[in-house]
Amino acid sequence: MNRGAMLMVASWTAVSLAGCSVGMNYESSDPASGDEGSVTMGAQAGGGGRRSAQALDRSQVPAVGEPRSLDLPEIQDYTLESGMRVILVERDALPLVSLELQFRGGATAHPAAQAGLAALTADMVDEGSESRSALDIADAVDLLGASLSSTAGYDASQLRLSVLRARFPEALGILADVVIHPSFPEEDLQRVVRERVARVVQRSDVPAALADDAFARVLYGDDHPYGVSLLGSRESLESLTRDDVVAYHQARYKPGQATLIVVGDVTREDLDALLGDAFAGWTGSGVDAPAPAVVASNATRTIYLVDKPGAAQSEVRVGRVAVARDTDAYYPLSVMNTVLGGSFTSRLNSKLREEKGYTYGAGSFFDMRRVPGPFEASAAVATPVTDSAVVDFVAEIERLSREAVPATELERAKNYMALRLPQRFESLDDVVRRVSELVLYDVSLDFYGGYVDGVQGVDEADVRRVADTLLPVGAMAIVIAGDRAVIEEPLKALGLGPVVVLEPGRPISQE
Amino acid sequence: MDVHIPYTQFTLPNGLNVIVHRDDALPVASVNVWYHVGSKNEKPGRTGFAHLFEHIMFEGSANVPEGDFDNLLESNGGVNNGSTSNDRTNYWENIPANALEMALWLEADRMGFLLETMTQEKLDIQRDVVKNERRQGVDNQPYGLAFETVYENLYPADHPYHWPVIGSMDDLSAATLDDVKDFFRTYYAPNNASLAIAGDVSETQVRRLVEKYFGDIPSGPPMPEITVPDATLDGDRNVVLEDAVQLPRLYVAWHAPKGYTDDDAVMDVLSAVLTDGKSSRLFKRLVYDEQVAQDVSAFQNGQELGGAFWIIATAKPEVSLDRLSTAIREELDRLVAEGVTAEERERAVNGVETSFVRSLERVGGFGGKADRLNEYHFMTGTPGWVRHDLARFQRVTSDAVAQGARTWLVGKPAVWLSVVPRGRTDLAASDGQGEVSR
Repeated sequence: MNRGAMLMVASWTAVSLAGCSVGMNYESSDPASGDEGSVTMGAQAGGGGRRSAQALDRSQVPAVGEPRSLDLPEIQDYTLESGMRVILVERDALPLVSLELQFRGGATAHPAAQAGLAALTADMVDEGSESRSALDIADAVDLLGASLSSTAGYDASQLRLSVLRARFPEALGILADVVIHPSFPEEDLQRVVRERVARVVQRSDVPAALADDAFARVLYGDDHPYGVSLLGSRESLESLTRDDVVAYHQARYKPGQATLIVVGDVTREDLDALLGDAFAGWTGSGVDAPAPAVVASNATRTIYLVDKPGAAQSEVRVGRVAVARDTDAYYPLSVMNTVLGGSFTSRLNSKLREEKGYTYGAGSFFDMRRVPGPFEASAAVATPVTDSAVVDFVAEIERLSREAVPATELERAKNYMALRLPQRFESLDDVVRRVSELVLYDVSLDFYGGYVDGVQGVDEADVRRVADTLLPVGAMAIVIAGDRAVIEEPLKALGLGPVVVLEPGRPISQE
Repeated sequence: MDVHIPYTQFTLPNGLNVIVHRDDALPVASVNVWYHVGSKNEKPGRTGFAHLFEHIMFEGSANVPEGDFDNLLESNGGVNNGSTSNDRTNYWENIPANALEMALWLEADRMGFLLETMTQEKLDIQRDVVKNERRQGVDNQPYGLAFETVYENLYPADHPYHWPVIGSMDDLSAATLDDVKDFFRTYYAPNNASLAIAGDVSETQVRRLVEKYFGDIPSGPPMPEITVPDATLDGDRNVVLEDAVQLPRLYVAWHAPKGYTDDDAVMDVLSAVLTDGKSSRLFKRLVYDEQVAQDVSAFQNGQELGGAFWIIATAKPEVSLDRLSTAIREELDRLVAEGVTAEERERAVNGVETSFVRSLERVGGFGGKADRLNEYHFMTGTPGWVRHDLARFQRVTSDAVAQGARTWLVGKPAVWLSVVPRGRTDLAASDGQGEVSR
């Protein structure tokens, strides 16, 4: 029973990283010609000169040899009779197992008016089952030294488990119990709703959260699931009932909507036997969530202000609706973003932090989802320089489509992405996350086999083309949570666009 | 259950301690350097300087032009970072293993030759960056001032833990280029450093490269001794802080065992018994049953010169912090009177065991194997102390946990800080007896 038919084995072969040219614009010294034989040891302290007479020549950057190839994990990918897809990566370096059970359709699977339902349901699954109370579940998990968590994002709900190998069978049994047989006790639901309402209150004290929520709202509006907080609002949370939670669970938490990603010290044979026991009798295809509406990107540039009186910094968000994960511009825009705000040496961080000292850090990213998600550049900047920082954000975004990225800078960005790949597969949770990101958006499990070539194939013209298309600087929402009394007039004086003050709970109105 | 990080160790004639750990699971390596200097070593009027100095270490050195430290690493697929605590400063580069020599060259250049290219401008920019780090993490965060307020009350003004690692804005403004030079010459020398290299490397290769790049960096003078005055509190200190927050929050801190001691592990287990999991004593009472708290957490922070045991609880809207402080005292009394069950102790220790195994998953970064080897070297003298570290948790008995609460917490003076919404000091703990701060 439940042994499952093997549909596909995607065997990831070794990825050569050797195609990446390294060394940049520095001359490399010959490693064989160094002064290893004449190192001066134990020079006296306190002398004037720190260099000894026989010091080696440190002026040359040491040669960096060819990168060693990365053996990507071998993936077993199959579907059980119940309809649950299973992806297994065996790793036995440590006696550990990590897993994620992913269900399609997160917050996009319910109306925006029910904001918070997906996350509330995820929170509730371990608050009681037909055979265990909320306390029983927590005690059993803790006694195994395991960690079990559940969350919901926009496009999926996810349970995660991490446990020692020896206690994996018992932990898997608890996971299956809470997924298949949650009882959603009314009393526990009321407690959890009150907790989440208080979190909404706490969130409104955090300047970064004010900016994030306003940015999502400005881009997507109050009626789109990407426009409202995953946590929900006081009103939406207080309107949700046990029936809503039960209905959401009935539709989504089914094997036909599920992918189980297991990474660690367990064999296929053992896993299949454990799954047969833990998930015996679990059936159902569930309801496929329709894709959310595609929202048009904003056509003009507007500055939106959220007042946070007395704030020491302004939380700045600049962006627009951009692309879905299935974009065919994935590599060009990823390289472009690395240049703009995707690494420490990126243009935004170099300008706003290292050159101007306006912030502790600036960056940008494309949040690629099932339908176009936001591009967002962000920083927390000192209140008095808010207007100057906004000018720099706009100028750096504009420069991408105006000027070619210099070859050295482009190569650095590409090598940073390609050569860092092995570090992204280090822990079991790293591998779970890499696979999870692919499963979530139906990307082939061979993706990382082509990653280095995909990155290295991007040229300057590709970057300029996607910058032109995706980042028109005249059509950006600029959202700032900060001290309105200090920053509003300077922002108006920039002439970058109208300045609109956002009031919580009030419709967004253009002036 | 046993954990183990095999290593080899040697010392250069200039005093630099070197630790090598081989792990060839992936073609990656990490270079990790600890300097035994932190905010505890700062001079009066220069709080925050050790951390400001850490920032300056990334801005170039004699043979590495400004910006190239990061440019070179990123060009080769490397990431890097550093951090400063009260006790130490650490730096690391996670790199593809073929870039090992370059990373060692970069670390050696700033260990030996930082001042040759130091400028006022580098200091000024990083001063602004650090001020923004403080704004982002402290001044512009709800409850952001709580930790430094507790520490300034827990330790007397002349104790090295009295002031925050991030420092005050005034002291950051006061830092000079001469301070940078003095600090480097005093603390940034190989005899005050430890270098750990972990990953797809061989000991022979590492020894050759370390001798080549670090061998001729001269030793510095012996490190200045720091004075550690008695930190005993005479009695409870009740402090009230008004902040831009909507929910009141109570912070309680007692003096507790130093880090790396058996009692430090006991108090760690006690913290789990109090607040880890739905059945834990304080969570169950305050959050689950009575629902007067939004959250509660406890932790033992054992450091080099002393330790502190913390309980932090956020009240539900309009709930007075007196209600939480009373419950905390009652639950601690009950724990001492009735003891801790075998199952409570086992839940806590099993969680610790899993976290120790998981801590062996990464070679680099904060808390990775290279970082752990250096930490244990500095704090215990034994880089491979991880197995002893776990063993001290496995030795903790239920009785020892109750005894820990009796010895360190019950009836012992503590700092009780109430952070309340502006204008709502009526919600503070301590029956309105507290001094109102700020």
